[in-house]
Amino acid sequence: MPHTSPKKHAGEQQPDGNAGQKSQRSKAARVSDDAADKKTRRLKDVEISFPIVYGTISFWLGKKASEFNSHKWTVYVRSATNEDLSVIIKRAVFQLHPSFNNPTRVVESAPFELSESGWGEFEIAITLFFHNDVCDKQLDLYHQLKLYPEDDNGPQSTKKPVVVETYDEIVFSEPTEAFFLRVQNHPAAIVPRLPAGLNLLPPGPIEHVNEKKRGDTKDHPLSQWFMNFSEADELLKLAAARQQVQAHIVKLRRQLSMIDGLPQQSKAASGQ
Amino acid sequence: MDAKDILGLPKNSFPTAQEKKPRPSKDSQRKPDGVSREVYALIGGMAPLMPSIEVSHLKKRPNSEKEKITWQWLPFTSSARTDSLQLYHWVRVVNGVPPTGDYSFAKYNKSVDVLRYTDEEYEKHLIDPMWSKEETDQLFDLCERFDLRFIVIADRFPSSRSVEELKSRYYSVTRSLLIARAPSASDVSGHPLVKEPYNMVHEIERKCALSAVLSQTKQQERRDAEILAEAKRIMESRMASKSAEDAEMPLNPTGNETEKATAPAESVSPSTNIHPSSSTAAPATATTESASTPASLRMLRVYLRTHVLDQMVQAASSTAGLRTIKRVDQTLQDLGVHVKPKVPTKAVCAEHLELRKEILTLLNLQKQLQNKEAEASANRDSSYAEAPSTPKRTYRGDVDRAFVPDSVGFGGERVGKRDHKRKASGRFIDAPPSPPQSKRPRKLKASD
Repeated sequence: MPHTSPKKHAGEQQPDGNAGQKSQRSKAARVSDDAADKKTRRLKDVEISFPIVYGTISFWLGKKASEFNSHKWTVYVRSATNEDLSVIIKRAVFQLHPSFNNPTRVVESAPFELSESGWGEFEIAITLFFHNDVCDKQLDLYHQLKLYPEDDNGPQSTKKPVVVETYDEIVFSEPTEAFFLRVQNHPAAIVPRLPAGLNLLPPGPIEHVNEKKRGDTKDHPLSQWFMNFSEADELLKLAAARQQVQAHIVKLRRQLSMIDGLPQQSKAASGQ
Repeated sequence: MDAKDILGLPKNSFPTAQEKKPRPSKDSQRKPDGVSREVYALIGGMAPLMPSIEVSHLKKRPNSEKEKITWQWLPFTSSARTDSLQLYHWVRVVNGVPPTGDYSFAKYNKSVDVLRYTDEEYEKHLIDPMWSKEETDQLFDLCERFDLRFIVIADRFPSSRSVEELKSRYYSVTRSLLIARAPSASDVSGHPLVKEPYNMVHEIERKCALSAVLSQTKQQERRDAEILAEAKRIMESRMASKSAEDAEMPLNPTGNETEKATAPAESVSPSTNIHPSSSTAAPATATTESASTPASLRMLRVYLRTHVLDQMVQAASSTAGLRTIKRVDQTLQDLGVHVKPKVPTKAVCAEHLELRKEILTLLNLQKQLQNKEAEASANRDSSYAEAPSTPKRTYRGDVDRAFVPDSVGFGGERVGKRDHKRKASGRFIDAPPSPPQSKRPRKLKASD
């Protein structure tokens, strides 16, 4: 990855005052060191997160249902904004119930999903493997496959699937510089603003993301069933709840302080 | 084996009253059927735990072989009917002879004998400024027609009267009639209507209380239980301090110990003289150390946001007891917040964690306040006799007033639920006086 302005690069690991001094010292060695450095150098106190949604959508087969094939279902890991997750995920492994043929299913490219048919509900373990520059550790997700709707009002419909999705965020702590640069402007990523004094180059390979074949799930055939996860709603609810609790705390404190004015004397009097 | 075996009675016959009489029998030592000799030797003539029935008895068919039972679709009449309508039903016919006699359910058609009065009697005994004679006549007609089903009567009654008013009028009239017609007061003194006059005020109060109890929310119930427990605790500590005083031991630790036992989750012993500021010191330090991601997770390089939240929640409530943790979850639900966030973004997790900590603080404060109040009231009561002019009294009242609205609890949606519930239960308990405007149209419709 080429760099155009080495001075911007200065002090990337030293947010504090001695950045200038360090850049002086290492200026000469910079050009040759950079490539290797970026792969290993980690950004302290920085975390990059990717909001994801994982879950299952299952359709009842209706007339075509047989005893052991009553539902067709899809398990998937998608970006919460339906962006392409192959920017970080190299491979997803779905561990199905041992009664399936080849219960360990490997998906090597986006979209990371798997369709099967069956009759039983079970827990699917999803293991995510990341690209080398992202993280060498894997991440496990667990999802309970759901085929039958919770409320049994009315018969099952072949039109309306049972959808269970879980929102979560994959967090990479102390990412390498290279990784940071690569995903800095990726729409699937939440990248923090770097602390003052920590300046990295604008990323080179943003365009190469666009060139890649489509791995996003924006036009996914099941996308009409994807659930919406609203952070704002959740925050509003929490804020309202906190306000109530805080008001109560204030009230209780006041009462306690009123009480505290008195027991001293009464305790002294009663000798307790 | 059972009592019959012990008494040597035949197994298939039901013992009559005479047979039941215990008579000393030498047969009682005989081994009953269906129990092996070895087992009988072991129990040694004692009554066994399980009744034993010989298998052959079970296999024997009931002696209904000679009876030929058929079921037939036959017409029947009921003496309870006045219109001699002919209906059909399935009847069990034994050996081709259908059962005769009245319809077996006719006997349940009971009707009430409603006393009627003459004009003269009305003038003499029954005049009531609240009731006209016409109204009273109507009431008695309806009582007869609907067999004293007062809810129905109230529904059909032309003017708006509550069930209690109607009952009161009916029972008082009937009572006066009974007394007036009896040759002497002692003749009717045993009559239930004379013995126990209907008390309208009491009845209304009873129904109000019942509907209040039935419409209580879980939260109120819990709070009531808490208050009762608290009261019990205060009583106990008072008793303890009293007995300690009797034993001439002015410094008595019993009260403190019970308090500690009832509040294991409390980080601060409520009865010590520590100011609230020192009790909040612990949570404050916890806040600073859990403000960022736990180091154990950061080491992992990759993790899920919910992992962080779970760990932080655990860390934040590590000082609390299991019961307190449950109460935090309960409070979250009461506030309409998911116990686990549905959209655990960084901001949501941080807010969620803060909320949890605040709830913990709140619960701690509540506990402290309760204990302080209990202590204060115990102190007040013990010292009240000595110093009646102490300012505690006025001060206490103040706290009570402030505490009551607080204990009503959170959230508007609770209140709404309670209202809804009250309405429903109000319908269930026979009609409380309903507003006339709702009654009138119904009546009109019925008379159409």
